[in-house]
Amino acid sequence: MSAQGKTARGALSLLLLGPFLMAVFVPFLWMVLGIFKTNAEFFQPLAKAFFPAHYDWQNVADLLGGKWVPFWNVFGNSLIVSLGQALGAVALSAMAGYAFARFSFRGKRLLFVLAVALILVPRQLFAVPLFSWVNALGLSDSLLGVMLPGVVAGLGVIYFTQVFRQVPEEYLQAARVCGATELQVFLTVLPLVWPALLSYGMIHFILAWHEHLIPMLVLTTETKQTLPLALAKLYDVSQRTPQGVQMAASTFAVIPTAVLFALFHRKFKSSLSEMLVH
Amino acid sequence: MPAANQRTPGARWTPFFFLLPFLFFLLLFWVIPLIGGVQMSLHANGLGQVEYVGFAHYHALANDERYFTALRNSFVYTLASVVVIVPLALWLAHLLRASFRRLRPVLTFALLLPALTPPSVLAVLFLMVFHGKNGLLNQLFVMPLGLGPVSWLKDPDFILSGLVLQTVWRWTGFMTFFILAGMEGIPRVYYEAARLATGSRWQHFWHVTLPQLRPVLLFVAVYLVVDGFSLFSGAFVLLGGSGGTADAGLLTVTYVFQKTRFFEYGTASAISVSLLPLMTLALWVALFLRRRTA
Repeated sequence: MSAQGKTARGALSLLLLGPFLMAVFVPFLWMVLGIFKTNAEFFQPLAKAFFPAHYDWQNVADLLGGKWVPFWNVFGNSLIVSLGQALGAVALSAMAGYAFARFSFRGKRLLFVLAVALILVPRQLFAVPLFSWVNALGLSDSLLGVMLPGVVAGLGVIYFTQVFRQVPEEYLQAARVCGATELQVFLTVLPLVWPALLSYGMIHFILAWHEHLIPMLVLTTETKQTLPLALAKLYDVSQRTPQGVQMAASTFAVIPTAVLFALFHRKFKSSLSEMLVH
Repeated sequence: MPAANQRTPGARWTPFFFLLPFLFFLLLFWVIPLIGGVQMSLHANGLGQVEYVGFAHYHALANDERYFTALRNSFVYTLASVVVIVPLALWLAHLLRASFRRLRPVLTFALLLPALTPPSVLAVLFLMVFHGKNGLLNQLFVMPLGLGPVSWLKDPDFILSGLVLQTVWRWTGFMTFFILAGMEGIPRVYYEAARLATGSRWQHFWHVTLPQLRPVLLFVAVYLVVDGFSLFSGAFVLLGGSGGTADAGLLTVTYVFQKTRFFEYGTASAISVSLLPLMTLALWVALFLRRRTA
């Protein structure tokens, strides 16, 4: 294709993508601008008052100052729970995936199907028995009670099974010849697949960051709750939280996952591309 | 699969050493709650020592109109989201590939933003689009056409479409990302071979791109089905935990949640357990399609 034809095609594609980009972007812009609006401005027809009259940071100050919810507690809890879940899920899934990809043993097929089945049974549906079991373990109203059930990830096991299948057998043999134990062999392979480790950790962090139902059942003390619960409280009409504060909290809730993805999404994509064709 | 047929290295228990942590947590936080759920569904409502009632909850469900409404809504919702999102994401991925190379990461990231947003925030942003007659959808699309403003979240005819639209808005960019990754992984040689054989771009798409993308598309579909059946947060904020007017937006998880709120744990568990055969069927279909791909 000629260079000119390529440019024309690129421009046309961009034009066709335009409406979709707008549909995604406008609500987020509205959210950020909403931080500065008074309630009266907020409920005006959108076309009339899309931009705020004044840029006043009072709503942000109120939110961060803990006037409505213990914001820093809640934000910190969400970080701890999501990071813990992500690390745990990466560790467990990588080890299990390595076993599935690199060894043959009795019952392998059955166990693998079980791991796939995990993906298909939404955990939300068994929230109540899970909740009473977490209580029985003495983990109620503790961050561990949310974190530990979240480290089991069927998707992770399947992902890492694919990932470890691609590691050339020579690497493993070389390590074994040098007298490494099986655990040492596994640890030698890990640096080779670090983009995959990072990518899955990121995805799991995002899923954990969004989780609502399980934390809602397990965490009761306000300072122990996570961000989605605090958001639900702020959005609740009976609380009469100013709309600007709600929008500030919403914006802060998006920032960590957006930054994480912005930093790593190219690595993630190339790791996926490699995996998907093999 | 180079390693699959190899002689097992190391001792016989080595693979189990690697599997043990996963299996331990699997047992603790999946298998036990699942058994607990089955048990709960066979006992009277309430917590603690409650009497055994056999299949009474299941019998009650068989005559429960709301249960079937919830099932039907979840089914329609899930199916609609797959049918809309997959082709749309394919098209968007194609557009992204055709657009300027240097812009591609930025554009992909922009499209993905909703997937990174907590569902409850998404629901609130979405209220803007739906909210009464001041919402964007009504202001920009419905009213200029000379129609009256649609009350998206109150009119039973529109609630489910509203929820579907929200899912489409949430996941399309994310799925586009996966499909794009898949497209970029297809070796160039395939296209060169195809170019020698036949002409049109459409044929290349049909005979090279699509078959190569099958594993990705399967993953995307499975993900959407699971997410469709476990949607909670979005519907919870949009409809306040209710099913909306005339239960038009009542989804299975919402119904389970409603039962839980009134401490009808037995009924809630019976609903959950009754979905297991459906999920098993979905699993079987997925594995079957996967085998055909391989």
